[in-house]
Order: sequence, then structure tokens, then C-alpha cells
Amino acid sequence: VSKKVVEIEGKRLTLSNLEKILYPSYSFTKADVLHYYHRISSFILPHLRDRALTFKRYPEGAESEFFFEKRCPSHSPAWVKKAEISLNNKERMRVCVVNDPGTLLWAANLASLELHVPMGRTTSPEIADSMVFDLDPGKGADLLNCVRVALILRELLSHMHLSACVKSSGKKGLHLFVPLNDKNTTFDETKRFSRAAAEIMQKNYPNLVTSKMPKEFRKDKVFINWSQNDSSKTMVSVYSLRAGEQPTVSCPLSWQELEDAGEERNPEKLRFVASDVVRRAEEKGDLFRDMLSQSQKLPHM
Amino acid sequence: MWSGTIGFSLVAIPVQFVKAVDSGRVSFRMLHSKDYSPLVRRMFCPEEKRIVQPEEIIRGYEIAPDKYILVSDEELESVSPERSRRIEIIEFIDLNEVDPIYFDRPYYLMPSKGGEKAYRLLAEVMAKTHRAGIAKFVLREREYLVALMSTGEALALITLHYDDEILRDEDLVTNEKFEAEEKNRMKKTIGKMMAGFNPEKYSDSRREKILDLIEKKRKEKSLVEAPKVEEEEGEGPADLIAALKESMSKVKKNR
Repeated sequence: VSKKVVEIEGKRLTLSNLEKILYPSYSFTKADVLHYYHRISSFILPHLRDRALTFKRYPEGAESEFFFEKRCPSHSPAWVKKAEISLNNKERMRVCVVNDPGTLLWAANLASLELHVPMGRTTSPEIADSMVFDLDPGKGADLLNCVRVALILRELLSHMHLSACVKSSGKKGLHLFVPLNDKNTTFDETKRFSRAAAEIMQKNYPNLVTSKMPKEFRKDKVFINWSQNDSSKTMVSVYSLRAGEQPTVSCPLSWQELEDAGEERNPEKLRFVASDVVRRAEEKGDLFRDMLSQSQKLPHM
Repeated sequence: MWSGTIGFSLVAIPVQFVKAVDSGRVSFRMLHSKDYSPLVRRMFCPEEKRIVQPEEIIRGYEIAPDKYILVSDEELESVSPERSRRIEIIEFIDLNEVDPIYFDRPYYLMPSKGGEKAYRLLAEVMAKTHRAGIAKFVLREREYLVALMSTGEALALITLHYDDEILRDEDLVTNEKFEAEEKNRMKKTIGKMMAGFNPEKYSDSRREKILDLIEKKRKEKSLVEAPKVEEEEGEGPADLIAALKESMSKVKKNR
């Protein structure tokens, strides 16, 4: 078993199994995974900051079994920052927060290919600093349907004086995020708002959209999953790898890219693997930067 | 429906209102073409480009373009007639004298318990003498002028237009003189076409055709269904729902 001890910002970390292929169809090794997270760290870290990390671990690779880990593993190094959060107002739980490159690589080294985080920070877990519309295509629908829904939703929100950021899910869907950062918005509010918006979308585009969870409603439609707006729910982080055949990334997109892909009917233009994403980020900067700084208030709440 | 008392002199007859006319109009609900949701009307402020909630709405009397006198609910209340359960007959008149142009909406009056005998007596005498009673009475906030008349067996009440609501026909009056021959020809033509008044001979054929059409389509089962509304209307604040609807209509206009 190969091991390599690295020092990142004064923190010693032992990386293991570096040659292990985690994406078999793509010959993408654990070293490649670590390399990706290292290169993207300055972009991903501000988005992970002070959020309870849920590890989605794929010890046998991206096409094999996975498990979620919400608790901070007991074997975590002392320098990994932890936070106490309460689960459903009862059980206390110790979680990891990823605030530095060392912790990021330590998490990646656990084969947690996917990094999931909630919309609230551990310092104020009941405050939503963003509202999300998780656009999930049902059977028979595809990414292009999601593009259409996202563009309509963006316009709807803009009439409500709300701007939004969008990223690929890294799989078949899109995630539309509305930055809030106003320190007062509760999940109850983001849920009510997003649900009402999803329902009005369904009413006006009944052949394209459903706001209902059950599978039978989702056939050929894009499910706008508003219920993600909950303090107990997590979304895959922007810049996180996704498990699958290819090392795709939940990649921030520009609205222009969405419009172009929609016009050209080319969903491939919205699919990015790890190496693309590093290049994009270095060229374009963080297309999700508004999520960190823009303060908006949900109207009519 | 309203119930109260017909009164005059020392007579008091308890009665109830019953509809005498059912509008023949076939009414349609306005639906949204996309999903068949029944549409609702909303008050819209063109200035703020948003839907205005009932509590934000007040009354203005327009005295010139963009100039209004505000009138509050309390002020309106203060000039409204006192509610009363009495149809007070002021005078009796000869029914032939009433110009039908004054007639507005007819109702039947039904005798309430204890009033049957007086009711029948009044109905019979008014029919025989061809008399009608003129009365005032208050329904909701309005005071109505009404004619109480007899159908022979039953009493009917017709609300009347107030005199100042009737538009005069002065413009139609001319002083033209006609030859006796012309008048006779007209009289003869009319005479040949005389008949009894049998309204049952006529019907609103468009209404019947519409109802036939609907019945035919119903048998063909060509019906559409509005989406189930569930609790969604109550789910978000009414304000938010209205603003979303408003924004959505803008989205759709642009597409």
C-alpha cells in the first residue's frame, strides 16, 4: 500500500492508496482525485466554509457502493475543525467543517469523492444563506429540459428582483441557487418561497415541470425539488466531484452557457470533468462568487 | 332570502321573497388555456405593477381625470337607510298607469306562517281591481322603490327604477303630421298581426343551442380537468402567491 506524507499549511497528512483507480472507466486514480481537489481548493473552500460536511464515500470506487458519513470520524486529525450541531433539535452531533486545504485533502483521502453541505452554516444552522431549486429530470426528461426550466425560473425570480446562480449537478440535473446572505432568512421561508415558485412553475408548464416528489409524477418532467430547503438537507457542493463513469464535477455555469446549450440543443456543453473545471476556474474565476457576497431578501415573506 | 312584513293601514302580512326570474344566460368560467385552472380576478395597481390586497383598497369618487374625493366605509354607512323588515305600502295605484320602462327585477312573495289568509285576500282584491301598491323597502344598503302586484293567486313584487334613473326620450320626439290614409294602413297591418301574448311560444334559441352543444360534448366525454389545488394556495403568503403569479405572467408574455 503506497503512502505519501505531505505537509499542507503546516499540517501533516498521510495520503494512501494513491494509485487506486476510483473511476475505472476513465482510469482516474485517487491521486487524480487529490490532485483535482488540491488545484480547485481556493475556489471550493469559501463555499464549504463553516458548513457541516457530509462525506459521500466510495471506498471501492465511483461505480461501487458508497456510504454517507455525517459525523466527523473519530480518527480525524486534531487540526480538523469540528463543530457541534443538533440534529432535529435533540441529538447533538460532532461534524467536520472544511475551512482549509489540509482538511479538504484529508476528506478526499477518505475517498469521499462527493462533498455535500447544507445551506446553513454551523454558526447559524437555522439560517439559510441561500435558497436552492434542485432541478431533477425524471425518466424521459433530460438536461436540456432542466435548462429550459432553469431559464424560466431565472426569469421568474428576476421579476421578483432576485438573481440566481446555476451549476450543473454533475449528473443529469441542474442546481439553481439564490444567494441570500441576509442573516435573517429561515429555512421555513426558503421552503415556502421555493415551494410556491415550484408550484406556479408546474401550473404554468404542466408538461415540463412537476413539484411533486412521487416518481409517477416525474415521468418526462423536471422535478423542482424545493424540499431541499431544509436545515437538515444537504446539496452536493459546487466544485465537488460526482461519482459515476466519468469524474464529472458539479460545475458553476454562466447563464449564457445555459442559453447557448439550450439553443444548440447540446447538453454536452454543460458537462465538465475535473480537468475542464480547473481550467475554467483559472480562466473565468469563480462563477459562483455571488453566492458568497450577494445579499438578497426574499420578498413577500 | 329576505323575509319581513307587508304593511299598510292596520294590515300586516308576513312574507318571504322567492326568486321569480332565473337568468337565461349560460354562464362560463374563464379557464387558463394551458392547464384549465379556473381564473380569478385581482385588483392590479398599474403604478406599482402588482396585485393589491383587499385591505389596501379604498373608494374614490372621480370628479375630474385623476382627481378623486375619498369616501370611507363609515361615511357610506352613515347615509345608508336603516335596515327594516317592513315593506310599507305608501299608496295604491292603477296598474295600467305604470310605464313598463320603470320595471326592474321581479320577485314572488310567499306568505309566511300566520299570514296566509290576509295574503290571499289582498291578492284577490288587487287582481280584481287591477291595483298595485307602491312601497319602499330596504335590502342590504339600498332603499328600493317597489310595486306590489297580484298575479291573481299570488303576490309579486317588482323593483322599480327611480324616476331620475330613467333617460328621457325627448330626442326621439318629432312633430311630424301623418295623412289619415297612412295611419289607417299602419293600423290595418298591425291588426292583421294581432295575437294574444303567449311568451311561451318564444325561446332564446342561442341559449338552447349552447346547452345542446354542451350536452353533446358531455356525452362525448370531451371534458378537461383543472389541476387539484391541494393546500397550495394557503401554503405561501397570499402576497407571495400573487407576486409569483404576476411575475409568471410577465415571463410568459416575453416568451
